[in-house]
Amino acid sequence: MELKKKREAGSLGHYFILFILPALIIYLTFSILPFIFTFIYSFTDYTDIKIRNLDFVGLKNYITVLKTPLMKIAIKNSLIYAVVLTGFQVILGLPLAVVLNKKLKSRNLLRAIFFFPAVFSSLIIGYLWNFILSSSDYGLINNMIHQLGFKTINFFTADRALFSVIFTQIWQWTGWAMVIFLANLQGISPELYEAASIDGADERQQFFNITLPLMCPSVKIIVVTGLIGGMKAFDAIYSMTSGGPGNATETVMTVMMKKGISDGFYSVGSAFGVCFFIIVLIVSGFTNKLMSKWSDAIG
Amino acid sequence: MKKEKIREVSKKEQRKLYITEFFMVALAIIWFIPIYYLIVTTFKSPREATEGPLKLPEVWMIENYIDAWKNMEYPRALFNTVTITVLAVGIIVLVTSLAGYALARTKTKWGNRFFLLFLAGLMVPFQMNIVSLFKIVKSVGLMNTIWAVILVDVAINVPQGIFLFKEFIESSVPKELEEAAEIDGCSVIQKFFVIVLPLLKPVIATVVIIVTLNVWNEFMTPLLFIQGRENDVILQEVSRNIGQFSTDWTALFPMLMLGVAPLMIFYIFMQKYIIAGVSAGAVKG
Repeated sequence: MELKKKREAGSLGHYFILFILPALIIYLTFSILPFIFTFIYSFTDYTDIKIRNLDFVGLKNYITVLKTPLMKIAIKNSLIYAVVLTGFQVILGLPLAVVLNKKLKSRNLLRAIFFFPAVFSSLIIGYLWNFILSSSDYGLINNMIHQLGFKTINFFTADRALFSVIFTQIWQWTGWAMVIFLANLQGISPELYEAASIDGADERQQFFNITLPLMCPSVKIIVVTGLIGGMKAFDAIYSMTSGGPGNATETVMTVMMKKGISDGFYSVGSAFGVCFFIIVLIVSGFTNKLMSKWSDAIG
Repeated sequence: MKKEKIREVSKKEQRKLYITEFFMVALAIIWFIPIYYLIVTTFKSPREATEGPLKLPEVWMIENYIDAWKNMEYPRALFNTVTITVLAVGIIVLVTSLAGYALARTKTKWGNRFFLLFLAGLMVPFQMNIVSLFKIVKSVGLMNTIWAVILVDVAINVPQGIFLFKEFIESSVPKELEEAAEIDGCSVIQKFFVIVLPLLKPVIATVVIIVTLNVWNEFMTPLLFIQGRENDVILQEVSRNIGQFSTDWTALFPMLMLGVAPLMIFYIFMQKYIIAGVSAGAVKG
């Protein structure tokens, strides 16, 4: 054992650093370094009109972030976006996966169709749904509503716009969740179900007592990646509402692009970035805790 | 169909299965309507599209496609997108397989520390750093080049690549094989490229698929780093043109279609592998 360990450690020797170096250089330059600079800038007075001789300003930028209504709205919208989208991905994706795991003749085609939208860019999906949900004559849904004799529905009012965008993203990403749930389902031994049906458990009981507990790993993946991904929402908002009407659909990333890049408030943008990072950490830490409680309760 | 595996299915259960199938097919048709609508509208005039949005076109117009092709400068935008994707995917596979191998075979304190450093990237959304990324890209002179997009996209995908390669090598590449090669006098570099790399095909496929989708669909990095038109990507052309020609709305559909067409074709032919790749990448990542 001791001998083998030594051998393992020495099997690459100084080649170890050579092998990780290319990845390390790119990762340090374009991930670690920007991360450090974001923290540094967030404590300075860096803007597009003051790019040299930066001064340390303490927590001033963070206070600005917390006092700016636009940024608070953005954080709130991103959280709503992340939670609602992820929730629906699980609520719709899970039953979809269970049904498409049955011996249906067309199940491969069905899986391919539900997954289809997930292949495309959210930007283009956003533009497409803009036309479908439009209140003009050509809006597909309003066109159908007219034919049924009802009045036009405006999907992009201040109250509805965010949820309209989320709706399109549910359509786009449910199939993604389904595929990941399916991979998990296929790893569950069929003998468990046979044993359960011999014991007289019906389909519903089997779902709640066998399937659901064993789906913990994939649900965790979808919840964590879905929440973080939702917090980062940008493309679909950019193409559907660009943050409007008013500020109704501003998210963390649309505000960061506008304030941090276009308007040149570099230091405030960086402070906002740090806040965003902290929120992501809290959300994923909280989710991890919640999910491990779930698996403990089962296990 | 293995005979011993076939369970006796009662007629009642069989009927239930048919009903389920019927409802699922109906749901799939509804699910597919937006994509169908996208495709048929590209061939219609505005009048036809408004009068019967879901009908097949009476006359299949392709003039809209010709205009969209020209307005988007499609060949150039496609070339840029393909170049960025191919180079980014190639670099990621090369650097993360090397690093993943080194980290899988180095069970020392430092090996572990480097692995954790890379893994930490999974928790950090790169979007929080756009201001400083912008500054760094500018100061190293990469602004307005495709290399800015390529290198940042590579950095974004490095943690997941390393994780997948390391996991795979630890679980599926037998050390005995490498030891045998060592005895035969292979150098470490030969050993990696001749013995290990060919065994990594399944995980390379996973990484290639995931990273291709990520890089091809990445909108924020080109938006940040490419301002000029000559280096821009398909997504930027779509958004630029939709702003410009918003009056003649059916003319915009071919642009959306040209925007998704390459991945649509990729998906139709590689569907099985893409779905397998996505689930393999996610379950382990």
